Amino acid sequence: AATAPGKKITARLKRTLPVRGPQAPTLSELMRWYCLNTNTHGCRRIVVSRGRLRRLLWIALTLSAVGLILWQCAELLMNYYSASVSVTVQFQKLPFPAVTICNINPYKYSAMKEYLYELDKETKKALETFYGFSEGKSKVRRSVDDWNSTGSDFFEQIPLLKVEDFSRTATELHSGQKRKIEGSVFHKDSSIVNSGDSNDIIGFQLCDANNSSDCALYTFSSGVNAIQEWYKLHYMNIMAQIPLEIKEKLSYSAEDLLLTCFFDGLSCDKRHFTRFHHPLHGNCYTFNSGESGTILSTSTGGSEYGLQVVLYIDEADYNPFLVTSTGAKIMVHDQNEYPFIEDIGTEIETAAATSIGMHFTQSRKLSKPYSDCTETGADIPVDNLYNKSYSLQICLHSCFQKAMVESCGCAQYAQPLPAGAEYCNYKKNPNWMYCYYRLHEKFVKEQLGCQQICKDACSFKEWALTTSIAQWPSVVSEDWMLRVLSWDKGQKLNKKLNKTDLANLMVFYKDLNERFISENPANTLVILLSNFGGQLGLWMSCSVVCVIEIVEVFFIDSLSIVLRHQWQRAKKWWSGRQQGRAAQASDVERQGHENPACIDEDLPTFTTALRLPLPQDSPLPRTPPPNYSTLRLETAFTEQLPDTLELGQH
Amino acid sequence: MNLKKYLVRALHRLQKGPGYTYKELLVWYCDNTNTHGPKRIIKEGPKKKLIWFFLTLLFASLVFWQWGILINTYLSYNVTSSLSIGFKTMKFPAVTICNANPFKYSEVKPLLKELDRLIEAALERILQPTPGNSTENMSLPLDLELWNQIPLVLIDEHDKDNPIILDIFETNQTAVDNETATDSRANVSKKKYKLAVKLCSHQGSENCTYRNFSSAAQAVTEWYILQSTSILSKVPLHERIRMGYQAEDMILACLYGAEPCNYKNFTQIYHPDHGNCYIFNWGMDEEALNSSNPGAEFGLKLILDISQQDYIPYLSSAAGARLMLHQQKSFPFLKDQGIYAMAGTETSIGVLVDELERMGYPYSDCTVNGSDVPVKNLYSQYNTSYSIQACLRSCFQNHMVEICGCGHYMFPLPEGVNYCNNEDNPGWAYCYSSLRSSIKQRQICIDSCKETCNDTQYKMTISMADWPSEASEDWIFHILSYERDMSTNVTLDRNGIIKLNIYFQEYNYRTISESAATTIVWLLSSLGGQFGFWMGGSVLCLIEFGEIIIDSLWITVINVISWCKGLKQRRARARYPDAPPTVSELVEAHTNLGFQQEPVGAVPGAPALPPEPGTPPPNYDSLRVQPLDTLGPDSDAD
Repeated sequence: AATAPGKKITARLKRTLPVRGPQAPTLSELMRWYCLNTNTHGCRRIVVSRGRLRRLLWIALTLSAVGLILWQCAELLMNYYSASVSVTVQFQKLPFPAVTICNINPYKYSAMKEYLYELDKETKKALETFYGFSEGKSKVRRSVDDWNSTGSDFFEQIPLLKVEDFSRTATELHSGQKRKIEGSVFHKDSSIVNSGDSNDIIGFQLCDANNSSDCALYTFSSGVNAIQEWYKLHYMNIMAQIPLEIKEKLSYSAEDLLLTCFFDGLSCDKRHFTRFHHPLHGNCYTFNSGESGTILSTSTGGSEYGLQVVLYIDEADYNPFLVTSTGAKIMVHDQNEYPFIEDIGTEIETAAATSIGMHFTQSRKLSKPYSDCTETGADIPVDNLYNKSYSLQICLHSCFQKAMVESCGCAQYAQPLPAGAEYCNYKKNPNWMYCYYRLHEKFVKEQLGCQQICKDACSFKEWALTTSIAQWPSVVSEDWMLRVLSWDKGQKLNKKLNKTDLANLMVFYKDLNERFISENPANTLVILLSNFGGQLGLWMSCSVVCVIEIVEVFFIDSLSIVLRHQWQRAKKWWSGRQQGRAAQASDVERQGHENPACIDEDLPTFTTALRLPLPQDSPLPRTPPPNYSTLRLETAFTEQLPDTLELGQH
Repeated sequence: MNLKKYLVRALHRLQKGPGYTYKELLVWYCDNTNTHGPKRIIKEGPKKKLIWFFLTLLFASLVFWQWGILINTYLSYNVTSSLSIGFKTMKFPAVTICNANPFKYSEVKPLLKELDRLIEAALERILQPTPGNSTENMSLPLDLELWNQIPLVLIDEHDKDNPIILDIFETNQTAVDNETATDSRANVSKKKYKLAVKLCSHQGSENCTYRNFSSAAQAVTEWYILQSTSILSKVPLHERIRMGYQAEDMILACLYGAEPCNYKNFTQIYHPDHGNCYIFNWGMDEEALNSSNPGAEFGLKLILDISQQDYIPYLSSAAGARLMLHQQKSFPFLKDQGIYAMAGTETSIGVLVDELERMGYPYSDCTVNGSDVPVKNLYSQYNTSYSIQACLRSCFQNHMVEICGCGHYMFPLPEGVNYCNNEDNPGWAYCYSSLRSSIKQRQICIDSCKETCNDTQYKMTISMADWPSEASEDWIFHILSYERDMSTNVTLDRNGIIKLNIYFQEYNYRTISESAATTIVWLLSSLGGQFGFWMGGSVLCLIEFGEIIIDSLWITVINVISWCKGLKQRRARARYPDAPPTVSELVEAHTNLGFQQEPVGAVPGAPALPPEPGTPPPNYDSLRVQPLDTLGPDSDAD
């Protein structure tokens, strides 16, 4: 009695949800059934068409429609990750960018004398020996301190050389002796052909300290470049040994640099500027750096409402070998951006008013999979050495510095220090210069892989600058202007300012229109599906339902038919073998309707079903004869078939 | 009653195919609809029927969900931008040329004489606080009346918390006797003096503010501008034009492409900042010039003289020409968009026209001609088109007139208002100063002004060279002087002469134009695509669906009618608790004595209610047979 309910339930389930096979016993029947009942157009035509030609035509048309659908949908899929660009302009209160101002000369020459005495002496000596140039004695201040330079032997090691190209011998600056050059020759400026005719090429030789035979000679077509490059090399070497605090003191203070400041119609002073020490430009001052927590903004465009500063450029205190131009360098950048002022700074002339009109554009790219850019830089295997947000420049510099530390064992002076490394100097790393030059060569030739690793940032802000220059102060206002500015500067300087020591700078928004260029996905999933639907519907009036039908009929049903066939065959084979083994004598094979297996296999079709009586024992036939109206149509056709034949005969 | 009958008949007539019950209707719909899902629900076996039912429901809900998304996308009015770059024949931009200095000093000197003497004396005091200066004694009595309207003061900030304010002229004696003044030279590092402008709401009133300046140069310039503005605002316009630079003095040579031009080709306009400005190719009277060739040879070449010797010393410290490229019929806002050209140089300006064409409402909030902006455009008196700069300035001037009672000299005047000056409006500088630094006022103006839909910018590539060269200097100055002044003396020098080349670059336009990303056609095709994709449906299917809903409404109406009728009957029966005997019952009752009324519905197949006399309810069964008959084989299956 206990098992009865369970059985009852299963029986009921079987009754209500009977498991049925496909509705056709054979594949061709199934296809026929499908074509007649499917919702897609075309297929029905194939079955319904009379005449072979027409049927073939319809087959071809249907197949080409399927092909077109597949092609178009593939096209749609391939174009899925495309982006469209939109530009919006907004007129609004704009945040004022950070403006970084540096004197072109990094350190006060008078203060640097102590450190650079040896180097300058060497340089002057080189100038005298190679070019016969000697400075007026008055300018050279002899400092008496016996700063026992670490470099004296070092200068000897990397001296300036006069190279005689054809004999490949070089005259050394110090000893005057000639020596044979081994190793490769690098020409920094020009190809060897151009410099071949002049006999005296100036350059310097860098050798691997461990392996003195491995040397590289760097030559320059012009002595100006050679001396500057050589000077810079040694200068960096010296500066690397000076701690940051002292360097900051050696450079210009905010009071030194800024004479007047005016922003948005109001007076400002050095408190609005943040100091930032740049290895090549000394102390730079950033206006509106956002370090105080607030970012200034402008709600009026025009030159009156921007930043107006007068800079004091002490031309007399310039380093004569390191920098050869006078003025200031400025850069307009975002508060989160590191100012690569040596790379993309704008130079400001002295004795002139430089007016810089800005136009603000913000751009935004779509990141993966639309384009290969990075949002935060976190996915790039290079550590950001700068304390600012990611940019391509930062990545490249960090990458180079990383390679430098790895291969040379010390960090290059112009870039920030990675953790646990220190700046190269000759005492500790006698080999660094050679290493650096080699590495730099590789970097430029894209052999370090930095250019491949680093990606551009997805969003960036850009201030397009329009720079124009006016004479300042004007002839008539020069007098009072200089007097008043001298008073401003205070009586610290007991001289009247010279107009070539001053630069006037105006940075302002030309208009408060912010252009925002952004990429948007051109396609969303909804639109893609719409397009699919459009294609499917256009060519075959098909939908997902049809797709499911196709899956159902072509895969599940046909597979089950095939499997059933196989199963029956296997069963037959097996039973045949069994019977053959068990009853060898009764080898009379049953055939046709007498064979129950056969009956089971070939399920009755409509016509056979009509002919055959239903099995009496089972109330439900396993597969009832298909009772579709389509089948009825078919009988109609068989009746009409002679007509078409007649037509064919005509 | 008649109407009801008519209605019922109409009902019957309309109800042909679908059947008379909800179920029949649904089955009919599923069987005959063109949407793909429902047919399968009917045609499949019970298990698949269930699957197909859920699939159809799922697809229908997907379709509606995605339609929602699509319609939302459409209503967000997105735009797509297309960019085109190239060279085409374009209108040469209007070129406005001004001198950085508004008036010839020689002309305005009588007006500014007092002011200059005041500032000179003041500077003497400030810069050399030691007593016994000779220049002071020499000077004529100063116009302290003028000074006291807006005085400059020194603020001594030795003591940060209570700074001492020193008036430059009046407390002169005390300042001199003051120890700090004499100390200042010796005690150089402690210089804490600052110059400030004292602004009072009325003369002599206590309501004063000090505008601090970190730099004396800035303070002096600001003070001078305030004072001179007050003086010049009283001068009538034609007089001011006369005092400015004349076209024939300023524009020495002009060449447009191969065509010579001269100062007469320039339109004069009075600009409050820069005095007389001259606009080339403004397009106000005649057609704008086209340029169909790139390169300096085909652009505008100008030689200007700014005569730097005649500058007002305290007003503008930068010397040069101020120029601006702008669209035809627009007002040049030189302070915003202008650039400088330096004296003694040749400035070449390559132009790229950067255009942004936007779609108006509802795609973006911009204005086509400014008519829908709630600010009265004061620049319309110049016959110029709307621009955001004009709107902002008009907005400021309107506020100024409202609050201070007079108009600022730098902006055009609304009708019936005068420019501010110290005599009529003693507190104007205070009022102006507070208004100018008011963030709130600026925000109001920013909010009420709209940008124009077509934003045109002229991107300039500026380069400079020294001009004239030393070798050519002599003859060039000679010829130009001769042509202008008809004299053999050289009246020009390097400090005044400027050469300008303005030309189109090789690519002279970059146009970003917007088009609607989603049009109604897009919406329809996307909707159709979605419907087609999931269910193979179309608009006709929707109509089918609508039809079915109407049909089901009819059925409801019929049901309600029959229910009402049933209710009436029941009421009628309630009056007579037993149902009124039918004719047959009566007959039976007469003939068969053992007859008992059967309980209702006990006999299978019998009608639920005995047929009634009077109007019989429509005989649905008979109608139902008809559609079943047409199906033929289906009836066999049943």
